[in-house]
Amino acid sequence: MDTHRLILVREWDAQHTGSGCCGKVGGGHELCDQDDFRRSRDEMERVGAIYRALYETFGDELDLTVVDPRNTMWLLPTVYRDARRRGLPAGKAVRTMAMSTANGAIVLDGKVLFDGKLPPSPVEAVAAVRAELAATARGT
Amino acid sequence: MPAIVIALLVAVAFALGYRYYSPYLANKVYALQESFVTPAHEFRDGIDYVPTNKHVLFGHHFTSVAGAAPIVGPAIAVVWGWGPALAWVVLGTIFASGAHDFGSIVVSVRHKAQNIGTLTQTVINPRSRTLFLLIIFFLVTLVNAVFAIVIANLFMANPAVVIPIVLEIPIAIAVGQLIYRKRTAALAPSIMGVVVLYASIPLGRAFPLEIDGLAEMVGVQPRTAWVVLLFVYAGVASRIPVWILLQPRDYINSHQLFIALAAILLGIIIGMNEIVAPMLNTDLPPDTPNWFPFLFVTIACGAISGFHSLVASGTTSKQLDKETDARYVGYMGSLGEGSLAVGAILATTAGIAIVGLDWNTQYATFGDAAGGAVGNFVQGVAGFVSNFGIPVEIGTIFAALVVISFAATTMDSGVRLQRYIFQEIGEIAGIRVLKENLNLVTVVAVVIPLALALDPELAFGRLWTLFGTTNQLTAGLALAVIAVWVLTRKRNPLAQIIPLAFLLTMTTWALFVQLGDLWEARDWLLLVLDAIIFILAVWLVIEAILALRRAQTAKAEAPAPEPDRSGDLE
Repeated sequence: MDTHRLILVREWDAQHTGSGCCGKVGGGHELCDQDDFRRSRDEMERVGAIYRALYETFGDELDLTVVDPRNTMWLLPTVYRDARRRGLPAGKAVRTMAMSTANGAIVLDGKVLFDGKLPPSPVEAVAAVRAELAATARGT
Repeated sequence: MPAIVIALLVAVAFALGYRYYSPYLANKVYALQESFVTPAHEFRDGIDYVPTNKHVLFGHHFTSVAGAAPIVGPAIAVVWGWGPALAWVVLGTIFASGAHDFGSIVVSVRHKAQNIGTLTQTVINPRSRTLFLLIIFFLVTLVNAVFAIVIANLFMANPAVVIPIVLEIPIAIAVGQLIYRKRTAALAPSIMGVVVLYASIPLGRAFPLEIDGLAEMVGVQPRTAWVVLLFVYAGVASRIPVWILLQPRDYINSHQLFIALAAILLGIIIGMNEIVAPMLNTDLPPDTPNWFPFLFVTIACGAISGFHSLVASGTTSKQLDKETDARYVGYMGSLGEGSLAVGAILATTAGIAIVGLDWNTQYATFGDAAGGAVGNFVQGVAGFVSNFGIPVEIGTIFAALVVISFAATTMDSGVRLQRYIFQEIGEIAGIRVLKENLNLVTVVAVVIPLALALDPELAFGRLWTLFGTTNQLTAGLALAVIAVWVLTRKRNPLAQIIPLAFLLTMTTWALFVQLGDLWEARDWLLLVLDAIIFILAVWLVIEAILALRRAQTAKAEAPAPEPDRSGDLE
């Protein structure tokens, strides 16, 4: 069974570049005011529900990775490589790569299934992934 | 000696540390097991507990621990010559920071991903939790004071950077609106944000902004006026929802971090510039404290930083896929931080000569070295970027912009963190107003570091030393936790005990010596602060000795430990 790479893009609450050394705060960590990061937290929980539904449905068939959109050093080359592997021309692969940096993006093997607007329920995310996997298996 | 040679030698030393020392820690000290079920798997929820590819996790971990602090310490410490500063950064990174950051992840993973504050309570004793909170309180107070002064000094030395920095606020807010409200992909707006920010540099040059007139009008020094304005900003910014300013500015900062690192590296490679500072400064200015022990508290971040244990145990340990990945994520994170410090050393010893500055003049007194440290770094980076054609004037503003962006984020976060600490103190002490009145708590969180920063007798070097000592005490507490855990697992804890003993000796020694200096200088505010931190250090020494003795006794009496299971609370 082939493993497919599925990337869920969302921020980690309370994470800032360069602040860990002198001010890691919030989000259920050492000392926090959860309300400060409520927005990120809500997003984490919504993506978490999708993550669990996908994991329960597809198990190890999917290599599930949750990535912060600011982690561009990993995210951009990975999505670009996956998009090229899928056969997309360089220009389209770059566009896919850029789209993958939306909060709430869901990217399957270099294809952006949701570009920043999370599906209303995990069921729809599962259906979209299933449809895409079926299409890939048919070679379409 | 050319800077590139130093960079290469450090790269080799770090590679050797990773190749030979980190496997020793992984196999003999921490006894990592690939089959160990990490909390990320045991509690997998897709929210906090998410098994994560080690390269992804390294990105999260490194960007959290890297910041402005590894710049300031090394930029001051080269006053003793680049040799001692470099030696401490390299040895500290390989043997102290590596063991500390890596170990913090491992111990947290073996305790259901508990954070370091809770671990001090679990592994040492409940009293240590109070000690931890007190150290963090003083650490954050000093961080806020230090960075306010750093930014104020940069504004005064580089008035052309003021407009770009002010413009960064609406740029970040606009980026935030696109990312969070319109749900646009982050890459294009954040890169546009960086482009617009750098495009505003000529505007800043055309209209350099100084506040001497305003300061004169209200009868204060320009630095005082800047510091007050910065704390007003930090107080207001800390009350704004994070998604409006703090988080979107971070998208811009995340690009700036890599742009700055790449620019420094490229400049060093292209320029092949010679180091102009002495390897060992034998002609020290008379006001310079002895390098032994002050070097080891002047450079905290960059050699070893206690705050890394918060990141390591706060989020990283919840995402570790395999326990064996802790070596790559934790140890490499330390090496990355050490590399930043080396960049700062090279900028202040080789880069500044490119822009025509005389090193001996810049480091003529310890006061100049401390007060001008970040300015020297900025000039040094400007020198490096001039090697590939960027005019020095532009490069200076660019470097100042990067440093201030990070320092402002640190202040914003620091004031929030200070507020949380007061709220926690309010909860523990049953002071409801402190717990519930956010405006009051914010004012208190701002006023305390502000009072420090405005101390008329203030010598920045002494303030920085105090910051270094609190950071080292945090690291000491984490090392004590790791050492106790290693000892109870019947393994050799020397990899933790040696840096722990060294750090605590240097810290208490430096604090003690500085007590005398502050007494002579009649700087009562810092004297009281130094005395309190000295007491905390002694308290930590006692707790560490007691905990290690208890662990030693338990080890002697207990049978061989069972293999660790996920979630074991040992």
